[in-house]
Amino acid sequence: MMAASPLINELRSSLSEESARIHRAFESSGDGRAAVAQRTSLIEDILRKLWCDIVSPDASGPPNIALVATGGFGRGWLFPYSDIDLLFLFGDRDGEQAFRDPVRKFSQELWDLRLKLSPASRTLAECDRYDSNNTEFTISLLDCRYLMGDRDLFRKLHDKVIPKLVMRESKALLQGLAEVTRERHAKHGMTLYHLEPNLKEAPGGLRDCNVASWLALISAIDKLHDWPDASSLRAPVKKQLEAALDFLMSARCFLHFRHGRDDNTLSWGEQDEAAARKVGAADALELSAADWMRIYFGHARAVQRTVTQLLEEIPEAWSALYRQVQSWRSRLTTADFSVVDGLIFLQQPSALQDPEVLLRLFHFMAHHGLKLSATTEYRIEQALPALAVTPPRGAELWLYLQETLLQPYAADALRAMHSLRLLTLLLPELNLIDSLVVRDFYHRFTVDEHSFLAIESLHRLKQSKSEWDQRYGGLLGELEDPELLHLALLLHDTGKGIPSGSHVEASLDVANHAMDRLDVDPKERAEVLFLIANHLEMSATLRRDIFDPATVAAFAEKMGTPERLKMLALLTYADIKAVNPEALTPWKAENVWQLYIGAENYLNRSADQRVHADVNDEKLARLRSLAPVTSSKFKGFLEGFPQRYLLVHTAEEVMRHLGMADELGVDPVQVELKRGRHWYELTLVTQDRPFLFATLAGVLAAWGMNIVKANAFSNQAGTVVDTISFTDRFRTLELNLSEWERFRRSVTSVLLGEADLEKMLRDRQRSEKGAIAKVKVETKIEFDDSCSSTSTLVQVIAQDRPRLLHRIASCLSDQECNIEIALIDTEGQMAIDTFYLTSGGKKLKAEHCRQVEKALVEELRGE
Amino acid sequence: MTKLEAVIQNSKLDAVKTALHEIGVEGMTVIEVRGHGRQKGHTEVYRGREYSVDLIPKTKIEMVLPDAMVEKAVQAVLGAARTGKIGDGKIFLSRMDEAIRIRNDERGEGAL
Repeated sequence: MMAASPLINELRSSLSEESARIHRAFESSGDGRAAVAQRTSLIEDILRKLWCDIVSPDASGPPNIALVATGGFGRGWLFPYSDIDLLFLFGDRDGEQAFRDPVRKFSQELWDLRLKLSPASRTLAECDRYDSNNTEFTISLLDCRYLMGDRDLFRKLHDKVIPKLVMRESKALLQGLAEVTRERHAKHGMTLYHLEPNLKEAPGGLRDCNVASWLALISAIDKLHDWPDASSLRAPVKKQLEAALDFLMSARCFLHFRHGRDDNTLSWGEQDEAAARKVGAADALELSAADWMRIYFGHARAVQRTVTQLLEEIPEAWSALYRQVQSWRSRLTTADFSVVDGLIFLQQPSALQDPEVLLRLFHFMAHHGLKLSATTEYRIEQALPALAVTPPRGAELWLYLQETLLQPYAADALRAMHSLRLLTLLLPELNLIDSLVVRDFYHRFTVDEHSFLAIESLHRLKQSKSEWDQRYGGLLGELEDPELLHLALLLHDTGKGIPSGSHVEASLDVANHAMDRLDVDPKERAEVLFLIANHLEMSATLRRDIFDPATVAAFAEKMGTPERLKMLALLTYADIKAVNPEALTPWKAENVWQLYIGAENYLNRSADQRVHADVNDEKLARLRSLAPVTSSKFKGFLEGFPQRYLLVHTAEEVMRHLGMADELGVDPVQVELKRGRHWYELTLVTQDRPFLFATLAGVLAAWGMNIVKANAFSNQAGTVVDTISFTDRFRTLELNLSEWERFRRSVTSVLLGEADLEKMLRDRQRSEKGAIAKVKVETKIEFDDSCSSTSTLVQVIAQDRPRLLHRIASCLSDQECNIEIALIDTEGQMAIDTFYLTSGGKKLKAEHCRQVEKALVEELRGE
Repeated sequence: MTKLEAVIQNSKLDAVKTALHEIGVEGMTVIEVRGHGRQKGHTEVYRGREYSVDLIPKTKIEMVLPDAMVEKAVQAVLGAARTGKIGDGKIFLSRMDEAIRIRNDERGEGAL
């Protein structure tokens, strides 16, 4: 083995001593910029000495070869364990041949000094060629800096070759840079909010600071036909990036020194230590790891916004397809907003003084999947201080928020609102989870991003090709109030920002505050709170035996209604999916589904468990507190209703039904009609009689109404409470207020036998042409005699069509069946109707079931 | 050395883990699996559509044990996973030739 030369020994000890000195200086000052500058200078010194020893005694010689710093070294940012990017530049092939041995020796000595070299050898002509498979090399030239050798050769590269190359290839360069950036972001799940981020490569990291500078520089060279004199970034952007760089440089130096290698992952241990040492935040008071990470995320957010905007603003960076889509989107311009190249601009810059315009802006964004232009973001930032004085709140804010939550790109709009600090201004409760790192072995993202991802995964169900996504997507389409599910997802983990025993309890408190602010209706509030309170319930039940009927029954009873069960299944699915990209395995999706259908079937097959008004339970206690004066009437009214009646109606609704029942002595048919968010709701309270439900369904059909859902219940005294949700196919009620009263009267007179229902139905039939069904649904009739001790259950699945419910109910009555309970539902073009039947006060006998089935098949055949 | 593989009900994982920890078994691999033995599957009807569960979701645990521990571990799994009903699962044992710790190339039972 050959002994090292005296120079190498000298360089080795100088490298070791100086590196230790730089480390000590960093430990005492925490100044990352100074550390990288000192390291750059130290390496330059070593290179110079080696160059003079091996290549040329004169550092500015020999001719036809130059040593050029590129990449991070070219920028003068050499981190303690970073690669040293070097370019050996030759005038021509002969020069390359002539200097092959000295270059090899030079590189070898650097390796022997344990310096990590990333060398490239190119002739001037090779530097002038752009290789689309190696965009990185051309980009690294943008940071080139002369070190040693032929200075004129370097000048040719810097002053002529690079500007011409950039001008000639600017479009390809921008596209290439955009592509590698998007690929890199995709590797990090397109989000900066990782619990353990890589501060070099992750979105918003150091690499993105460079991308921002390169994008601006390429555009500037293309425009000026030369290198710009100063940074091409706008002053406020530059200021933000410089602040981010100060922080990120210190943090990366800290990581390199701590690991003794080029490891840029901010793992939990490193976060604790960085916070304790206040790395990059020397002026801060005491910092917890979560506080320190918030500072990191704040800088990363600014960097990512800048890069995203620059990528969006530079049309050359777009692919042809992307450009086509953006050009189509330009047609979306409205009176408030204009859309140019996929970016939203304000038609009137001063319009944001009106908070409604601001809220409409994010609704517009969420609806169309557009991005905000830099100018619009600037205007929003300017408008925020005035808005902070009297922020919008109450029902109006909730209205805008729910409309935004329902749009397909809601998560992107929420992220943009959050990034601009608007979301936390409107809902300060979300400050608790802003960039919050909560450490566990499953979550990969901060709590705020986890919540946005959960909302996003719900919206993506509709377009997904995955079998499970499609199955759950079907459930989403059936929800009556999907906005409540989205609000629950937004707030479900807010309690994680409060140190307490149970984050669920804390989230409920926070959600209550947020819903006070939004003035959410009590019924809707109860649904959101139910979802938050139970958001871990399904996962907990999955740890038990979900094939055991007792487990399913206990879970289903906790859910109470099919609607709540459906929402919780979706919330669980979205919540697991947003934990990390691998968290929702098909195995888990199947388990959640299995539990869902088990519980759904249980709820439909146990609907006739009866209420006993003497029993003490929470809901009955609340009802008693609302009706102390009329407690005996109340008791008589409730006795014998199915438990399901109390689950699907709020206490206030039950009290209203009681009031209507009270009036039956005066008017034997009590009808209430109201308009809901999605459909109209008719409530009927009257005494039970044969053909009642069939007649009610018939009168709605005669008016052309389409029954979507219905619940029909009766108590021990024979008082019936039927609620029917329907859509107004001909907009009769919507366009003619006077028709409301006529419709109510019509229902009453038909039920009292004063009007001829058959004639009304014939008239309707004549005026309607038969619509062709888009999806063919096969009729299925299923009897279940085991699920109820008092009734026989029949479930009818059939093609939805006008008058269907009237025909089924009439057929059942013709067959001398009494409808004890009816649960009517519609899924797309499929009607799913469940009836609990008795005959002569008893279950149906087997022969009777066969007759009923035959009659139903006959009735529903064909058409 | 012996490899112990046990297919158990999902609901029994926590109990089995605890029982194994109590006798000093700390490392194991847990795998989400589907399958059926005599339990077969079953069919549910959901909204008029048959939803067939022919392969039932189960949990599989795997561990390699020093021979002296095998019987104790088998008893721990049996005790924790048994309900007495069809579908409790099965335990499989097989001989292992070698175990190697990747970090330091340690071999044999010491690597377990």
